[in-house]
Amino acid sequence: MIKRVEVNYRGIFQKNLGKYIGSDIVMIATRMGKVAFSNGRYSDSPERNGIPCKYFAFVSPDLAEEELEAECGAKLDIDEADVSVVLDDTMVKGVEPWGWHGVRSINEKVREKGCLLVVTRHDPAQLLQFVGKKPYPYRLATLEGDASLAGLWVFKDDLTRERVLGAIAAVDPGIIAIDAVEGYLRDKGADGARRAAAAREAYEATLRNIHIVNPDQGIDWPHPLPVLPKWHEFEDLGIVVPAVKRSFEIGPRGQSRNDAFKRGTTKTHRPIVRFDLCIKCTLCWLDCPDACFDPTDDGLYDVNYEVCVGCHKCADVCPVPECIVMVDELKATDDKSPWQRYKKDPVEYTAWAEKMKGKERLRYPHVTGTGMEVSEGKEVPLKVAKR
Amino acid sequence: MAVAQETQATGAWERQDLLNGCQAVAQGVRLADVDVIAAYPIRPYTEVMDALSKIIADGQLDAEYIIADSEHSQFEIAKHAASVGARAFAGSSGTGWMYGMEALVVTATDRLPPLFLVGNRALDDPGAFGVEHNDAMAVRDMGWLLCWATTAQEALEHVLIGYRVAEDARVLMPMALAMDGAFLTHSQHMVQVPSREAVAKFLPRFNLGKRVMHPDNPVSIAPQVNEDWVMELRRQNWEAARRAKPVIAEVYQEFNKIFGERYSHPYFSPFMTDDAEIVLLGLGAVAMPARTAVRRLRDQGQKVGYVNLRWFRPFPTTELRELLGRFKGVGIIDRDCAHGSPDSGGILFHDVRSCVYPLNKRPVMSNFIGGLGGRDISIEDCIKMFDLTRQAADKGSEEVAVTWIGLRE
Repeated sequence: MIKRVEVNYRGIFQKNLGKYIGSDIVMIATRMGKVAFSNGRYSDSPERNGIPCKYFAFVSPDLAEEELEAECGAKLDIDEADVSVVLDDTMVKGVEPWGWHGVRSINEKVREKGCLLVVTRHDPAQLLQFVGKKPYPYRLATLEGDASLAGLWVFKDDLTRERVLGAIAAVDPGIIAIDAVEGYLRDKGADGARRAAAAREAYEATLRNIHIVNPDQGIDWPHPLPVLPKWHEFEDLGIVVPAVKRSFEIGPRGQSRNDAFKRGTTKTHRPIVRFDLCIKCTLCWLDCPDACFDPTDDGLYDVNYEVCVGCHKCADVCPVPECIVMVDELKATDDKSPWQRYKKDPVEYTAWAEKMKGKERLRYPHVTGTGMEVSEGKEVPLKVAKR
Repeated sequence: MAVAQETQATGAWERQDLLNGCQAVAQGVRLADVDVIAAYPIRPYTEVMDALSKIIADGQLDAEYIIADSEHSQFEIAKHAASVGARAFAGSSGTGWMYGMEALVVTATDRLPPLFLVGNRALDDPGAFGVEHNDAMAVRDMGWLLCWATTAQEALEHVLIGYRVAEDARVLMPMALAMDGAFLTHSQHMVQVPSREAVAKFLPRFNLGKRVMHPDNPVSIAPQVNEDWVMELRRQNWEAARRAKPVIAEVYQEFNKIFGERYSHPYFSPFMTDDAEIVLLGLGAVAMPARTAVRRLRDQGQKVGYVNLRWFRPFPTTELRELLGRFKGVGIIDRDCAHGSPDSGGILFHDVRSCVYPLNKRPVMSNFIGGLGGRDISIEDCIKMFDLTRQAADKGSEEVAVTWIGLRE
């Protein structure tokens, strides 16, 4: 028997966290007398900021190491997972790790009766409005917490690692048992008891938060999966491929972009724009590394959320307070043009934008590994243009 | 693993660590007490230099660690270090290995024995990270020792075995230790780490003897020569490569004595071949799905086996000829390309076929090209290759079929 765990994490920002969890599973399973190993999905690397990536751990109570390796280690991705861990809940909106891969549902690999385990502050119903339907029942477990985001060379030691191990023991004790998790963590030096307690707390909490998801729950998956061509089906000189044309038009969706890799699933935050406050300084359009901003015929800049990676740059360079504000990606339910919505009804749009913005202003100083910083924002009334 | 536990009592093995292939190699380098490490990053090799810098920073190894400006420079640095009698280490992957080619060639012709790791990677273009064996294969005719590890454990052990063979006074050839990118370099396993004492027993200090460059022993290396010298020098290379083979056998014997019976055969590992009719032969991590396929087909009563070739240079000609001559059909798995070669087969295929040519009764040879650029070779792929090899053998055709495995066609 083989148990497969995949840990879905945000590239760079959760690289260490994902790898540590994979390694811990191997160490704990080995202590339990099982055979185990772990690896990352090789094609994810070199990772780019925030891209959806995977780390795997494989555990077997009865197979020889070579058999386990042959079944799991000689593959670049898995066919099915007993547990799919999601370390950042915004990935439930779909994951697209690289070009020609398509946007896939986060539960793609979850097997029948397997478990999708999400670190989140949202409830299952909120998450399921983004997740694709499966033809069979599976389980959805939630572990309360924020996405633990840090940097490539740093690790944010906020006990997410230990809590996820406890939660995995709760959803599938056949992978690792909570007693073994606690024993392993307790042996981890001076604060081992604190770490073991965090795992136990998460274990107990997760046991209360496991829900059955039936085949009628979830959405009909809207993103088509690309079919890669056979070797003789593309141009004779396949090394030369059409580039993205440099074209540019005024209006929504005005810039040319790479349709084979839109990268929108990279973001944990999205910019909300108060068009009424915009002074048309061009900086968001100029500085956006991904050409997300489309100049409109009235001199504003529309956002194309399908290609926005949530890098915060526009919000950083915007000179007008409260004009561009980054908000939790899970608050948004579609990628429609915000400018068109604004033009249709500025009052309705502005009220909506303020609601989206909420009170909290979020920042991730990734390099320091200190995690999310929250400050208070302020509500600005609709500015009516002088005629 | 069982063997390791038995010999732990004798003190040969110190501990069990969770290591990926790169980190296992770095542990081997630590235990070999290497003097000079030259480094330049390229994936998948990079994690070896990362792990080594940490080992040095942690005070576990006292070595010069020089970050070079390119692959070419790092290999030159390691070569020069070897010329003054230092045990030297470097490594690379794919196109980085090729960029250092001039330095790689002279290291062999200068008969210096550093050990370089090749984390196998597809050659550009297109830019790709996955495994392909053409990079390491590029030194196969240059006077290098060339060996593939199958697991992280083997990779660690072959750093020690590699230095011992390369530095033997009868050999003095550089050692390329190859391991499959991703499947080996970046997969974490529980690895048995030998003790320093046991390694000290196995691997003596490097002694370059009279050839060492030193103020007390002034020598000039590789002067310009004309047509009156080159052939004799080449013959010395040729002899060294021939002498390496029995030395390898000795070294494995010594290794088994100290660390337990880990290797039944020095050059390759036959698996369930005793009564086999059909066998596959390959290099590197493909052994794992291939051997699993053997077990499954054996359960169905099929007489199949697998030969995991470790040493490609020197090529174990007589031993492999004797083994393969017993089979009806042999399928060679090439994780490389040899475009426009005889029958358009792979590099490994050509050498194995050439090796069995003198046999009166030759097995029917099939060739499979697969796993290029990191594509996986599954257990099912291996079962398919066994079927095709058997079909070719039943037909008894002299015509060689080269089949691409795992290609979208």
